[in-house]
Amino acid sequence: MKLTKIASALALSAAVSTILFAADTVKIGVQAPITGQYANEGQSIENFVRLIADEKNAEGGLLGKQIEVITCDDEAKAQKAAVCAKKLTNAGVIAVIGSYTSGATEAAQTTYYRKKVLQTSDGTSDSLIAKKYWTFFRNSFPNSAQSDFTADYMVKIKKYKKIVVLSDYSSYSEGLGDATEASIKALGGNVIYRGKIKSGTQNFSAILTKIKEMKPDVIYYSGYYTDGGLLRAQQKQLQIDADFVGGDSNDNPDFYKLAGKAAAGTILINFPTPEILPYPEAKKYLAAYKARFKMDPPSIWPVTNADGFRAIIEGVEKTKSFDTKKIAEYIRSMKDFPGITGPFNIREDGERVGAKFVVYKMNNDGTKQVVPE
Amino acid sequence: MDTLLQQLINGLTVGSLYALVALGYTMVYGVMKLINFAHGDLVAFSAYVGLTLFTQFYGSNALTLVNIIIVFTLTAIIVAFVGVLLERLAYRPLRTAPRLSAVVSALGASLVIQNGIMLIWGPNMEIFPANVFPSTSWNFGGVIISFTQLVILALSAVLMVALYLFINKTKMGTAIRATAIDQDAAKLMGINVNRVIMTIFIIGSMLGAIGGLFIGMYYRGLTFDMGWLYGLNAFIAAIIGGIGSIPGAMLGGLLLGLFNALISGYISTEWAETFTFILLIIILIVKPTGLFGENTAEKV
Repeated sequence: MKLTKIASALALSAAVSTILFAADTVKIGVQAPITGQYANEGQSIENFVRLIADEKNAEGGLLGKQIEVITCDDEAKAQKAAVCAKKLTNAGVIAVIGSYTSGATEAAQTTYYRKKVLQTSDGTSDSLIAKKYWTFFRNSFPNSAQSDFTADYMVKIKKYKKIVVLSDYSSYSEGLGDATEASIKALGGNVIYRGKIKSGTQNFSAILTKIKEMKPDVIYYSGYYTDGGLLRAQQKQLQIDADFVGGDSNDNPDFYKLAGKAAAGTILINFPTPEILPYPEAKKYLAAYKARFKMDPPSIWPVTNADGFRAIIEGVEKTKSFDTKKIAEYIRSMKDFPGITGPFNIREDGERVGAKFVVYKMNNDGTKQVVPE
Repeated sequence: MDTLLQQLINGLTVGSLYALVALGYTMVYGVMKLINFAHGDLVAFSAYVGLTLFTQFYGSNALTLVNIIIVFTLTAIIVAFVGVLLERLAYRPLRTAPRLSAVVSALGASLVIQNGIMLIWGPNMEIFPANVFPSTSWNFGGVIISFTQLVILALSAVLMVALYLFINKTKMGTAIRATAIDQDAAKLMGINVNRVIMTIFIIGSMLGAIGGLFIGMYYRGLTFDMGWLYGLNAFIAAIIGGIGSIPGAMLGGLLLGLFNALISGYISTEWAETFTFILLIIILIVKPTGLFGENTAEKV
């Protein structure tokens, strides 16, 4: 009796889902931190996806189907990310753009893999491609590429003798911190202290006072701008006479606001920021973004996610199918797909290859300039 | 040596902030035997109110001492009003209900305020203006004290002394102490318990408001859920000092700040929070009433 009820319920739900799939839309998920610490990054990812989806829909959609964007807010938290993965796969998306942080991306990875849903993220932690899921590909460049570049800059160009490496506990930041420490040591550099801070605790004076005693030449921080800006401000307040080098996630207008006058002289290592991207696609999409949302994207990350989405669209159109396996294979075989953030090439394990980095120095007035090497 | 002194200064500054917030917890608990979990969120709310007021004043002219005083006063009044409202809506109807109901109500109020902040000011990090106080700092042989730190230390001390005098020397203070010992007996002696409770909510919220403004000025980055961080630490400080005891909250706050700074500085930053909880557990085992538990008759 019970079994027949369950069976009929299953049959009914199967029927309903067939009807849903038969509808004239193709669903694309956005999993991003819409609220919380990194909300402005997450919101911008959603904005970009909607911008591109609407553009495609105006042209008649994807293989004749309108694109429907479904957003799930993961608040950059692993638990919420796992919930989002369930929610989005249940909604029947074929691909998910995001998330912003590596931790939230990683927590959702297995669910998407099991449900054969494509996932593309700007998470840079090396652990993201360790599982070699065919469903996953990265739209930004890995920590290891950045750490080599950073170590080279600090050891060979600036010739720092005493280097402090700080990170927070997120998988991205810890991964980048560890990778940078390893790259510095590989070049024969001297890491005198490797510390971790807890993101969001605001008060870093204790660890900075401890660092002051070591008289470092440079403090390298591999975490996010929300803590990096405060670290820099408190470093200056404690009159610690050391350079401050920040990893890519410090590159956000809020870093200046948090650090105030202390921001001057800060060195950031990042991909070229949106406004100096030399590619024609960059000019087109960034202008469209600005026209629609009345502001620039806060960083390069939403832009790389836009490229991830564009790669999926290209995959669908070229393979003329919504079969995610075929699309994934196509994306991995693309040669120099013209991305907004430069030529887009994906390796077999899902890694984006061909990284380019720049060194910026912050000025007094909240602007920054590229430091020539 | 100067590193140790620097850590002590850092610890005392954070400790004063914890103490200011802890006073709100301890007073409400002392009188109502209720843990006001929404207090931390009121602190966050005050930081946001202060931010809005400061940016309003920044719009037209440079910030003067008068403006700063106006902002502090206005913020304290607004937050006190919300504190009283909180008591009216979330706690008064439950005053005779089982204690668990009040705790649940407090947690609910905390969520309401937190989400209220998110709806009003948005989910993104808001940043407090940098130059409310001059960015001067003094270097005493390697030990650095900033102007903001000095103001925090001095004003916190003044406020705490004032509160101590208020509780011990005024008629209202006596009424508060009497209500803390026995509400029913206090009522029989003609004390207006509702007014006493309103007064402690006003004072607690105002101290929390000053704490919130200081947090904004000192740390600058505001997130809608930041109240949890300060609320939890202040709550621990209140327990260390002996919840319900006013000098206990002050001492507990300062001790917690110092403890945190020294652990971070000399043992490990990564473990500072863990050690805080170990300290809390030790105190709860060895002296469950906290440091000032015995001296006060109104302890549970």
